Amino acid sequence: MPNLPAFTLTDTAGHRRRFPSGRLTLLAFMKADCPTCVTSLPLVDALAAAVPAPADVWIIAQDADGGRALAAHGGGNRAALDDSALAVSYAFGVEIVPTVMLIDGDGTVRRSFEGFDKSDWQALTADLAALAHGPLPSIDWTTYPDRRPGCGSRTLDPALADRLAAEAEGSPLRARRIEIAAHDDPFEFLFDQGLTDGLPVVPPTPERVLRMLAATRRDAQDVVAIVPPNLAPATVEKVAINAVMAGCKPEYLPVVLAAVEAVCTDEFNIHGVLATTYFPTPVLIVNGPIRDRIGMNYRGNVLGQGNRANATIGRAVQLVIRNVGGGRPGEVDRATIGHPGKFTCCFAEWEERSPWDPLHVERGFARDDSVVTVYAGGAPTGFIDQLSRDGRSLATSYGRTLAAVTHPNLCFHGEIVVVVPPEHVDTFARDGWTKRRIRERILEVTTRPAAAWRGDAECAEGIPAAFADNLPPDMPLAKFMSAEAITIVVAGGEAGKFGAFLQPWLSGPMGSVMVSRKIDTTGR
Amino acid sequence: MHDTIWFESNRRPAVFIASSEFEQAATAQAEALGLPEVRRIIVPHPIQDATDDEMRAKADAIVDAVVAALAR
Repeated sequence: MPNLPAFTLTDTAGHRRRFPSGRLTLLAFMKADCPTCVTSLPLVDALAAAVPAPADVWIIAQDADGGRALAAHGGGNRAALDDSALAVSYAFGVEIVPTVMLIDGDGTVRRSFEGFDKSDWQALTADLAALAHGPLPSIDWTTYPDRRPGCGSRTLDPALADRLAAEAEGSPLRARRIEIAAHDDPFEFLFDQGLTDGLPVVPPTPERVLRMLAATRRDAQDVVAIVPPNLAPATVEKVAINAVMAGCKPEYLPVVLAAVEAVCTDEFNIHGVLATTYFPTPVLIVNGPIRDRIGMNYRGNVLGQGNRANATIGRAVQLVIRNVGGGRPGEVDRATIGHPGKFTCCFAEWEERSPWDPLHVERGFARDDSVVTVYAGGAPTGFIDQLSRDGRSLATSYGRTLAAVTHPNLCFHGEIVVVVPPEHVDTFARDGWTKRRIRERILEVTTRPAAAWRGDAECAEGIPAAFADNLPPDMPLAKFMSAEAITIVVAGGEAGKFGAFLQPWLSGPMGSVMVSRKIDTTGR
Repeated sequence: MHDTIWFESNRRPAVFIASSEFEQAATAQAEALGLPEVRRIIVPHPIQDATDDEMRAKADAIVDAVVAALAR
């Protein structure tokens, strides 16, 4: 059957009718409240009487009640089939009702027209007479108008279009469908299924998932990443489902896709991030033009609540890890205390407010690239410096604050992310302080002799004694492995001389390394 | 757990050792990876602050069980 979709529909008498049948078939797509369909009905009846057997004359009724109304006309060898679900109208690409098609037994479309044009019907009548080798059916054509426009097919109703696309043959969706009972609350159902982070999620209906997928050119079945701990493949579709649940708008999806890819690299090591009893979780930092295009927050309350893009992008990544990868608290997620950023932690850099290269440019990308960087971070810790009037004093404050990260007696830390607010940026900029100079000052301030990092009788915690014993007591040891390990990001409100750092975890092969991914913003 | 199951799927007996606090994680992961009956030995928690001597004692206490598990 070339190009025409097969279908089975039930007629008003309850019989199931199958297409293709191998017989000559006349299909008339109609709806009861279309005046042009009603005008055409007597012609369908007249032709049904004249069509040579074996043949089917079927009205494909787009409304169940209408089907009954349409069936009430005439009878004979024609039937009205219930297409109130609209799957067949959609599959045939019907845009106008009536749409009339005469189809040969071998599937060839002999004639097809929309709306009402007397000449179309006369030509169709002649076709049928030729096939029947009989006279033309007796029709008083003077009672018919020359032309009448049809009505829009119900398949074009914007409220139905997404559902039809999701349910159609050729839909990109492959995920298992879950039907829930009419009396079930979908929100409670999703809680019961263990698919939430403890807050309600948006039910991922096929329509919503399709709308989400429309934001990317990628094939829905492309594998974005293999997600630990269960090493489950996350397709674009699976990511889109979790983005819907998180509350994302479709235009956020490219950021979520790039972040999922970044988080699932060996370098980032999400398995370790989950399995450690310490605090880390994926912290997402977004740079580039997409920030403003999707309305991300990089100003006041930047690490707080209230911005949909920040909140839902981070949450979508967390839901992918949970629902696709199986990383759930009490199972592989072994965090002792955890932190609220494990619901979501995603923010953007205020690049325009900074005299320095933004994070993505420092990491080798072009300023016009949109990039997401993932960092295995713990909770933000704030600190105060409202009195420093020059860069050196302020950088010293940053150093003294960072000296206590994880524990005052622990050093050799790898990566740490420090958020510098606009008022502090101004203080540094006034003095011409670069990021490098700030980092070096932090290293200088946090450097102490080896003996000072050891635990003692008062406090056992410190660098391992076996290691410390092999070092000269006065050998200088810095808190951080290198200046480059200290990542500086500009963000926050215009008022407030308060900085923050996001608690670090282990860096390097034993822990996690920051990963950046360019965001595909080409869309569809 | 991934490594333990990798060894087993390559026909090499392997046993997974964890402290009691991680038994639940091991169970969840083994089930997710399709080998819930993976050989395991659970030792008393904690490990983090154990001295070398305490660690040796923990190891001595399970060495027979490890051999028995591998010979199963």
